[in-house]
Amino acid sequence: MNSLEGFVTGPMVYLAIAVFTVVTAYKVHAIMNMPRHLRWDLYPVPHQGPEGSKYQKVDFYKLPKQFSLTHELKEMGEEIFFIKRAFLNNRKIWRGSYLLHLGFYIGTAWLALLVAGAVMEIAGVRVSAAGGLASLIYYLTIAAGVASFVFGLAGTLWLFHLRVHDEEMQAVSDAVSYMNLGLMLLLFGTGFAAWLFADPTFALLRAQVAGLLTFTAVPVQDSLIAWQMFWFSVFLLYLPFSRMMHFAAKYFFYHNIMWDDEPLKAGSDMEKDITGYLSYSVEWSARHIKHRGNWAEQVASRPEREVDKK
Amino acid sequence: MKKRVRLSEFGAAEKVLTPLSYSDLAPLPGEDTSQKQFKPVRPELWEKYDYSLDGFSALNLPIPKTPEEEAAIVNSFLAGLEKLFKKENNWAFLQPTVLSTEYCMQCNTCNEACPVYEASGRQDIYRPNFRSELLRRIYRRYFTPAGRLLGKWAGADVELNWRVVYRLAELSWRCSLCRRCASTCPIGVDNALLARELRKLFSMEMGIAPDAVHKSGTINHMITGSSTGMTRAAFLDNIEFIEDLIEEKIGRRIKIPVDKKGADIMLLHNAGEYMAWPENPAAFAILFDAAGIDYTLSSEAMGYEGVNYGVWYDDVQYARIALAQVQAAKNLGVRKIVVGECGHATKGLVTIADRLCVGDFAIPRESCLPLLEQITLSGAIKFDPMKNNFPVTMHDPCNMVRLMGIINPQRNVLKHILPPGQFREMPNAGTNNYCCGGGSGFAIMNSQNFPEWRNNLASRKKAQQVLEAFKDVLDPSIPKYYCAPCSNCKGAARDALMHHYGFRDKYNIIYGGLVELMVNAMIDVPHPFITWEDEF
Ligand code: SF4
Ligand code: SF4
Repeated sequence: MNSLEGFVTGPMVYLAIAVFTVVTAYKVHAIMNMPRHLRWDLYPVPHQGPEGSKYQKVDFYKLPKQFSLTHELKEMGEEIFFIKRAFLNNRKIWRGSYLLHLGFYIGTAWLALLVAGAVMEIAGVRVSAAGGLASLIYYLTIAAGVASFVFGLAGTLWLFHLRVHDEEMQAVSDAVSYMNLGLMLLLFGTGFAAWLFADPTFALLRAQVAGLLTFTAVPVQDSLIAWQMFWFSVFLLYLPFSRMMHFAAKYFFYHNIMWDDEPLKAGSDMEKDITGYLSYSVEWSARHIKHRGNWAEQVASRPEREVDKK
Repeated sequence: MKKRVRLSEFGAAEKVLTPLSYSDLAPLPGEDTSQKQFKPVRPELWEKYDYSLDGFSALNLPIPKTPEEEAAIVNSFLAGLEKLFKKENNWAFLQPTVLSTEYCMQCNTCNEACPVYEASGRQDIYRPNFRSELLRRIYRRYFTPAGRLLGKWAGADVELNWRVVYRLAELSWRCSLCRRCASTCPIGVDNALLARELRKLFSMEMGIAPDAVHKSGTINHMITGSSTGMTRAAFLDNIEFIEDLIEEKIGRRIKIPVDKKGADIMLLHNAGEYMAWPENPAAFAILFDAAGIDYTLSSEAMGYEGVNYGVWYDDVQYARIALAQVQAAKNLGVRKIVVGECGHATKGLVTIADRLCVGDFAIPRESCLPLLEQITLSGAIKFDPMKNNFPVTMHDPCNMVRLMGIINPQRNVLKHILPPGQFREMPNAGTNNYCCGGGSGFAIMNSQNFPEWRNNLASRKKAQQVLEAFKDVLDPSIPKYYCAPCSNCKGAARDALMHHYGFRDKYNIIYGGLVELMVNAMIDVPHPFITWEDEF
C-alpha cells in the first residue's frame, strides 16, 4: 500500500467525517440561533389539518393551538420520500432529482449496512452468503450499494443532460451546478466502478470500514477502492459548504418559515426575545430612517427629514 | 422575441436589456396583439430616466451624469447589501433571507408558477429566480472570501456597475410578491421574499422607492393620517357622505359610529374605499347595523386608514404604521380590530404585525371575512339569493388566501346569497390562485409608463382566469360580477380588467366587493344595491 492510498483510506476519511459533522452542526446551530423573524406563513399549513387556517374563525386567537401531527408527517413524508413539489410542478426535473435522491437515501442505508457488517466482522461473525443475519446483511449491502450507484448515476446523468441541453435550465445553471453534478458523478461513478471491477460483494470495502472502526490500516487491494473512498471523502468535505446542505436547511424553510404559525403570547420567551431585538441600533441610512435610532425609537418616530423635504 | 439574458451580462451597456413587444405576450382568447405596440417613451424622458431594464420605469431613476455619481450608486448599494445580512438591521427577516439566499438549487420549478414570467412570453429577466440569483451572485462576489477568490467557480460572477444596481431596483418592482412561486419550490426558497428584501435595501439605504408607495404613500400617510391624503376633517365629511349614500340607497339613515369608546370592534377600512368605492364602507355599515354589531370607526390620524404600504418595501415604515393603527384601537379601548376588505392591510396587521405587538399592543386583530360569514349564518339578516341572480366568480386575494389561509368564509357567504348555479370558481382557485396584478403596490403605481407594463403583464393571467370562469356566459347580454374582497384587487380590476382589457364593455362584467353582494341580497333593502349602470 503506498502512503497516498494509506492517507486516502485512513486519515482523510476521519478528517472528512469530522469536518462534515462539525460544519453541519455549526451551520444548523447558526440557523437555529438567528433572531426570530416576523410571521411569513404560506398556506396550506399542514399541521392545521382539514380545518385549515384559524384565521377563518371569529376570535381565532381564543381557539386552542391546532396541531395535527398526522397531517404534518404525511406532508413531510411525501416531500422527503417523493419530492412532491417537484413532482407536481416540474416533472422534468423531478425524474432526475428523484433518482438522485433515491441514490442518496439508499446510499445512506448502504453505508449503515457496511458499518453493521464491519462491526459483525470485528465481533468475529463472518459476513457472507452462508446464512443467518450475516447473510441478510451480505445481500442487503450488495443490493443497496448497487441500487444507490445506479439510481445516483442515472439521476446525475439526467440532470446533467437537462443542464446541458435544456435551454431554460442552461440559462440558470452556474458553474457550481455543473461542478456539483460532476462531483456526484465521481462519487457514484467510482463506487459503481469499484463494485463492478474490484469488489462485487463489498467485502474489500467492508474490510476498510472495519479498519476505520478499529483504527487499523488495511492494505488497499485495488486502487479503485482508494478512488472510491477518496471521492466519498471529498464529497463529505464539500457538502456542508455547498448549497446541497439543503438536506438540513429544508427543515427550517418548512417548519420555521412557511409553517411557523406560532402566535406571540404575553410573557412568552418569544415576547422577551423580540423586546430585546427592539433595542438593536439601526444602521440604515435613507432619509426617513431616524439616524442611529434603535428599532423601538424608529417605530415611535416619524420621518422628520422626509417631512421637512415635502 | 424571447430575449436570452445571461446573469453575468445583466450590467451590459445595452440601451434596453429586454425590450418588450406585444407579440411576446401570451395572448388572451380572442385578443389580437399583432398590430399593437407599447407607447414609445418621449425622447426627453429617455435622456433623463433609466428605462434600461425592459423599457419601463417604476422608479423614475435619474441616469447618473458623472463617474462619481455612478460610483456613489454602487457604493451605496453595497453598503445596503451588507446591512441586509446583519441582525441589527434585519432581524425581522434575517433567517428567511439567509436561507433563501443560500439554498436555491436552480431547478426552475418556480418559473412556471409566475404569472409575470408566463405573461411576458417567458422572458429570462422575469424568472422568479433570476433576480434572486443576481442578489446571491453579487453578495457572494463582494462579501464572501470564496466569491472574491474563485469568482464564477463560487457562483459569484456578477460584476457591479450602476446599471446592474438600477436594473435590479426596477426588477424588484416587477414581482407582485404573490408568493405563488414560493409555494411550488421544492426547497422552500422564497423569491418573493428576496424581491421584498431588495426593495427594502433600495428604500431603507438608498431612498429609492416608487413615489406612489413612499412619498405619496407611507410618508403622506404619516403626515396627513392617510395614504390618500385624507385628513381627519375630510374623513368625517366622507362619513357624512356615506350616510347620505346609504339613505339614498336604502331609504333610511344609519348613523355610522365614530370614536365610540369601549366598542367591541374597531373596523378599519382601506381609506381608498371612502374615495373610490364608498358603496363598500356603506355596505359594511348597513350589514353591521342590521346584525347589531357593536363597532366603531376611529377618526384618529392613521386610525381611519387601514393600508400599510410598508408591507411591500420598508420594515421601518411598515412598523410605524402598524403600531399607529394598533395605538388608535388602544385609545378607543376596543376589544379587537377587524380589518375590512383589503388583503395587504389584513395580512400586514393580523399576521406580520403579530410578533411586533408586544406588551399592551397585543390587541386582537382579524379579517372581516369570518365575521361576515358569522353574520350570514346567524340568521340575523334575511337574504333573498334571487336578488343576486347573475353569474359571480370570486377572486382570491393572495394576501388573505395564500398567505393567511382564509378560503372558506367568503365562499360560505356566497352559498347563502347566490341562487344555485350562479357561482363559478376560477381555475386555480384557493391557495393556488393568481395575483390580480395589483399586488405589492402595483395597483397604485401610475407614474410614467408603468401602468402599461402592469396591465399587460401582471394582470394578464388574472384576465385569462376571469374569462375562463365566465366562458359559458360571456355574452354581454348576461351581466356578470367579479367579486374581489380587496381594495387593491378592485383597483387592478378597474384599471386592468375594465379599462385596459375592456371586460365591462365587451362582456358586461363588473367588479366589486363581497359586502355589496350581501347587501344586494338583503330582503330589507328595497332597491338593488348593485346597479350595473352607474358607479362600477
Ligand atoms: S427558487 Fe426553488 S424552485 Fe426556484 S430555482 Fe430555486 S430551488 Fe428551484
Ligand atoms: S412572487 Fe409572484 S410575481 Fe413574484 S416572482 Fe413569485 S410568482 Fe412571480
